[in-house]
Amino acid sequence: MGTAVSIELADDRPERELRELIADVCRWLHEVDARFSTYKDDSEVSRMRRGELTAADCSADMRHVLSACADLWRDTDGYFDAYALGPLDPSGYVKGWSVEVASDRLLAAGSANHYINAGGDIRMRGTHPEGGPWRVGIRHPWESDKVSWVLALTDGAIATSGTYERGNHVINPRTGQPAKGLRSVTVVGPSLALADAYATAALAMGEPGLNWLAKLAADGYESAVVTDDGRAFSSANLPAAV
Amino acid sequence: MRRSTAAAVGTLTGAALIVGVRLSVQPVAPIAAPPAVDLVDSTPSASPSKAASSKKPAASSSSKAAEKEETGLKDGVFKGKGSQNIYGTVQVSIKIADGKITAAEATYPTTGNSATINPGAVAKLKQETLQKQSANVAAVSGATYTSKSYQESLQAALDSAKA
Repeated sequence: MGTAVSIELADDRPERELRELIADVCRWLHEVDARFSTYKDDSEVSRMRRGELTAADCSADMRHVLSACADLWRDTDGYFDAYALGPLDPSGYVKGWSVEVASDRLLAAGSANHYINAGGDIRMRGTHPEGGPWRVGIRHPWESDKVSWVLALTDGAIATSGTYERGNHVINPRTGQPAKGLRSVTVVGPSLALADAYATAALAMGEPGLNWLAKLAADGYESAVVTDDGRAFSSANLPAAV
Repeated sequence: MRRSTAAAVGTLTGAALIVGVRLSVQPVAPIAAPPAVDLVDSTPSASPSKAASSKKPAASSSSKAAEKEETGLKDGVFKGKGSQNIYGTVQVSIKIADGKITAAEATYPTTGNSATINPGAVAKLKQETLQKQSANVAAVSGATYTSKSYQESLQAALDSAKA
């Protein structure tokens, strides 16, 4: 299964340089895929699953990912679990983190204005090509060509998890049953790695996730939620576009 | 102003959602945020570290302790060191009178990460009307897990408009 990645660079630089920056991002994402894919037999994840590689011998990136997954497991009351299905599967963290790193690399290479959208999870910096913040829509959970919120962001991340795309694939660990209650959870904050994991965890929690999300505001993570029955909720400082 | 857009499909492994957890952690019985304990006044800091690190504090452990340690206990109120567990910090206090534990109390996290036990979160999400707009946006956030769903997404339309 693949995820589409859209990259937009809004820096005033020659086309050739911009193309090279995009190529660099793609190289990094492919490197991540080669290392963390659960579908490739020779990936580090697969080798760890087979016991051929221990946490002590793996790459620095893998050690970071394992440690971050452990932190998230704790911070989400166990609703984020890289071992949820048994074998190690850190994909739920790796996607957001790899885009976060890609954006950092772009910035280091001199791109101060860009966004990277990996399957609906976006990290952006700076301003839109026409100036002003990036206007980001949150997909309407029943109508794929409509949006239910429009946000204005200059530097930050936005991640959305929803049950509308793949059905009820998220299990509530307390009941062992598919998570119910929330149809779409969006988290906005400084780090895409965390925003993505938080959105997924809240979706798994179901309606109690509303209260859990509310508390993330203290750490700078705002949220917007649509319930299964079509009620909409948002946190007080969600950066809505005017 | 120059800009450039590119879309690469198929680079990342599927965004596997969290699915289930082999978790045995039970939420500690609902606790109504007890402020420290009214037995506090002296704190000769004994260290009931066992009690403090226990996930289910107070009652059960205190009665056992009372049976076992009938003598040699100094009267007063003793507060354990705050103990970190996955719910946050728990601090246990015991009160000793006539060499016996006569009360035990625990304080629970009020700023930890737990939605389950931390009572009374101040912050709340506010309810509003679900909007349905076709707004002018640069990007769209949504649950898009497959290449197929990407092709059908508003983001794909935006990308092709810019390409």
